[in-house]
Amino acid sequence: MLNDIFNILLPQMCILGFIILQLILSMLISPRYYRYARLVSVIGISLSIILLSAVQTEPQYFAFKNSLMSDCYTSLFHFLILVCGFFAALLTRNLVKTIKGRAYTFHVILLTAIFGAMNIVSANDFVTLFVSIELLSFSTYFLIASAKGYHSKEASFKYLLTSAVSSGVFLFGVSYMYGITGSVNLSDIYEIISSREPSVMYSIASILIILGLISKLAVFPFANWIIDVYKGCESSILAFLSTVPKLALFGIVCRLMVFPLGAGFELTFVIALLSLLTAFWANTYAVRENNVKVIFACSASANASYALLAASLVSVYNLSTVIFYLMCYVFMNIAVFAFLNIYGDKKPLSVNDFKGIFYNNHGLTGAYALAVIALAGFPITSGFIAKIYLFSAIANSGLIFVPFLLALLILTVAALYYYLKILIPLFKECDKNTEMCALKPVFSQKFVLVIMVAAILIMGIFPERFIELCRFIAYNI
Amino acid sequence: MDILLSIPFLIFMPLVASILLISPLFANNEIVVRRFAKGVCVLHFLYSILMLACFDSANPYVSEIHFFGLDWVQSLGVKFIFKLDSVSLILSVLASFVFMIASLASKFNIRKSHKFYYSMFLLLQSAILGIFTSADMFVFFLFWELELIPAYFLIGNNWKETSDEECKKAQNSAVKFVLFTFLGSMFMLLGILLLHYYNYVSNGILSASFSDIVDTTIPVSIQYLIAVCLLIGFGVKLPIIPLHSWLPDAHTNAPTPVSMVLAGILLKTGAYGIFRFNYETLPDSFSFIAPVLAVFALINIIFTAFVAYAQTDIKRIVAYSSISNMGLVLLGLCAFNKIGLCASVFHMAAHALVTCGLFMVAGIVYLRCKNRDINTLQGIAAVMPRLFGFAVLIVLASIGIPGFAPFISEILTVIGAMSSDLSDLLKMCAVFALPVLILSSCYMLKFLHNGFFGETPEAYEKVNDITVHEFLVLASVLAGLVIFGIFPDTILGLLK
Repeated sequence: MLNDIFNILLPQMCILGFIILQLILSMLISPRYYRYARLVSVIGISLSIILLSAVQTEPQYFAFKNSLMSDCYTSLFHFLILVCGFFAALLTRNLVKTIKGRAYTFHVILLTAIFGAMNIVSANDFVTLFVSIELLSFSTYFLIASAKGYHSKEASFKYLLTSAVSSGVFLFGVSYMYGITGSVNLSDIYEIISSREPSVMYSIASILIILGLISKLAVFPFANWIIDVYKGCESSILAFLSTVPKLALFGIVCRLMVFPLGAGFELTFVIALLSLLTAFWANTYAVRENNVKVIFACSASANASYALLAASLVSVYNLSTVIFYLMCYVFMNIAVFAFLNIYGDKKPLSVNDFKGIFYNNHGLTGAYALAVIALAGFPITSGFIAKIYLFSAIANSGLIFVPFLLALLILTVAALYYYLKILIPLFKECDKNTEMCALKPVFSQKFVLVIMVAAILIMGIFPERFIELCRFIAYNI
Repeated sequence: MDILLSIPFLIFMPLVASILLISPLFANNEIVVRRFAKGVCVLHFLYSILMLACFDSANPYVSEIHFFGLDWVQSLGVKFIFKLDSVSLILSVLASFVFMIASLASKFNIRKSHKFYYSMFLLLQSAILGIFTSADMFVFFLFWELELIPAYFLIGNNWKETSDEECKKAQNSAVKFVLFTFLGSMFMLLGILLLHYYNYVSNGILSASFSDIVDTTIPVSIQYLIAVCLLIGFGVKLPIIPLHSWLPDAHTNAPTPVSMVLAGILLKTGAYGIFRFNYETLPDSFSFIAPVLAVFALINIIFTAFVAYAQTDIKRIVAYSSISNMGLVLLGLCAFNKIGLCASVFHMAAHALVTCGLFMVAGIVYLRCKNRDINTLQGIAAVMPRLFGFAVLIVLASIGIPGFAPFISEILTVIGAMSSDLSDLLKMCAVFALPVLILSSCYMLKFLHNGFFGETPEAYEKVNDITVHEFLVLASVLAGLVIFGIFPDTILGLLK
């Protein structure tokens, strides 16, 4: 067991250690020193990133009686999760200020969520997977509710209800799968399934399992929660919420699609259809909206659906495109929410609140505009390459999916419309002295924004190394 | 000499200047900014002329950029590769010229945010040159999308001290322009992705360069699908009739120099795209589609000529006349023979000059009289004799009087379509197109007659005639029209 821990579990253990440290600190330290909570989290996450290099990835390593695994694929996702967690933790300054005494508890929950997300990616049996998902989910309920005011509580409760239903669906699917194969271990299931003819039972089970998982990504039948959650949530938590759970769940969904569940055409078809519906729903919903956070909620849901469509057409090439897409996407999202964090969360944030903000602070608003342009998929940003690469995966999957691709491409025009709705007011002119326009960034916020913009541009102009990495990982899964 | 002539320099010189202009290091001084931008444009034009002078059609300029020793996106076979053959070169020089005269014309039309304006202006130039020179589908698409960002700002921003209502109008037309073009480019992306994939499947070459695409092995039905997708993309830009409705708004509400660039060069990117993709890369499907497309071209010519006749706003007349003229360009391409291609390229150049001149005239009139409505505008010939002289000559050129460039290209287009051996439908189109050209003299002369003649109202009596800047723009346009009209071999010789 100690061997297992040293071989693959050091990063997670490091996070766990810091969770315990934060718990102890929350009891010992006076609430006056609330500022150090953020520092401790950031140190913990950076340490964990360093420890990732000690994890054994070649060959695959299975630990704790095959219930956890590790290879380059999980390591990459761990790395991305930790990086996103790092930047999200950096952005919590304003939030921590408002909750003061509970700052340490808040960071305990944040770290727990990261711990859960990491375990989701490396889970190798359904029980571990379920426990990790619940760990992540429960932490996110608290994270959402941690901001002051009525809306955050409402959002948290809505998320709780949807999440509970989707967990039920997931467990139902797992029980079917157990009934068919007599095992909950992914490797065993894969072995049993590949030696047999696919049955209807098996298709139903796999569809239910994937459905339970992807509802956390806001896919069509379970998509509505995302609007309320984003509306009620603080921006630093959104920076976390729109990246870490997404990475974790895509990590496991892609692996499940490739290995134990990747047999049936039914699954592909259902997921592809659902993601198309999601893209349709999200893009058309956002066109009518004026609240910036709601627009980003819809954009998150739509972007997840693009990636999911590519992931559902299982192939190694598609997997590499999905990984690259996620890699680009999380950085854009963090940049957007870093700017919203600088702007402040007091108001409901209508698009017109940002009127003329460009003339107040060129650099910050330029960075924000660049991030939104990247989300819309314009060139010299990573969004352009990511979109082309992802869509090429769908185009390569056969003529049946060309109508799907065409529908997605037309929907991205609607997406452009709502991104323009965000962008246009930034450059409109208004009175310079209005209080709304005042931006007072602190160092950590500027730091996050600068790094993210650099990432967006570097991945947009020199994409080849990153794509190579994704291909390497996809071919070695 | 070869070391001096590099395509990346040609493309990225405006880009570097644009970045320099927007950076906080550059002085926020109107005169310095304007002179710098003009200097860059003039230098760029001279450089492009140098490249033209040293051009040898047997071995066109090719250059490839590597990123740390790698291709741009090696996994997709995308190389950052540029190629200047004769068509690209002519259009690049033309683009450089149009941008130069548009930068001269900017002086009186742009009243604020000079740094931002000239930065976007040069960025647009870079993007358009990128479209004309790229030899790889994805790089082409990159520049095609990149061009939307500066074009949006150039059309939609408030560059003058105008009323809120006009500002709103300009913004709405900019959004319309971006959404239309983006919709088109999404169809185009689908076409490019399918072409890339099926070229890989049937030929085993993982490459997106135009020269690596072999269309004969791709299944015919897929070729048609690809060709139609691409045509929708280019049809928005060109524009082909049902996809044209963004154009009059954008051209009317943009400031004068931007209208000149839009009509002079931006529309040509659509025609160039059809030439590069459909005509050159997918000839099999194009020879089948061309007769149908020729009918669309004819509709372009006839329909918009009538619409232009019904307009009262000078800029809208010019905008609709551009659509009509682009129909001719399309007809030339549809002929699918050497004469048609020459005519098409020649007409692109001729029309760019004409439309720049007309937009300049409209801009000057609007600047002086604050009025673009030909029903209420009259008698400005008496107060602005020099402008009137230029306006008469440019209008005569535009309706195809011998001695000016459009005459030659119109005749060549019809000859090309007549001698095409694709289908009789094309010959029919040519037969109809020729008399329809008379319509252009109807709306153009109406514009001249209503706007310039008659008694001068009191309000206009104190307006000034054209300034040196405006004179330079109009004179260079006219010089171009006359030179190409009398020595058409300057362009046609390159295409042989």
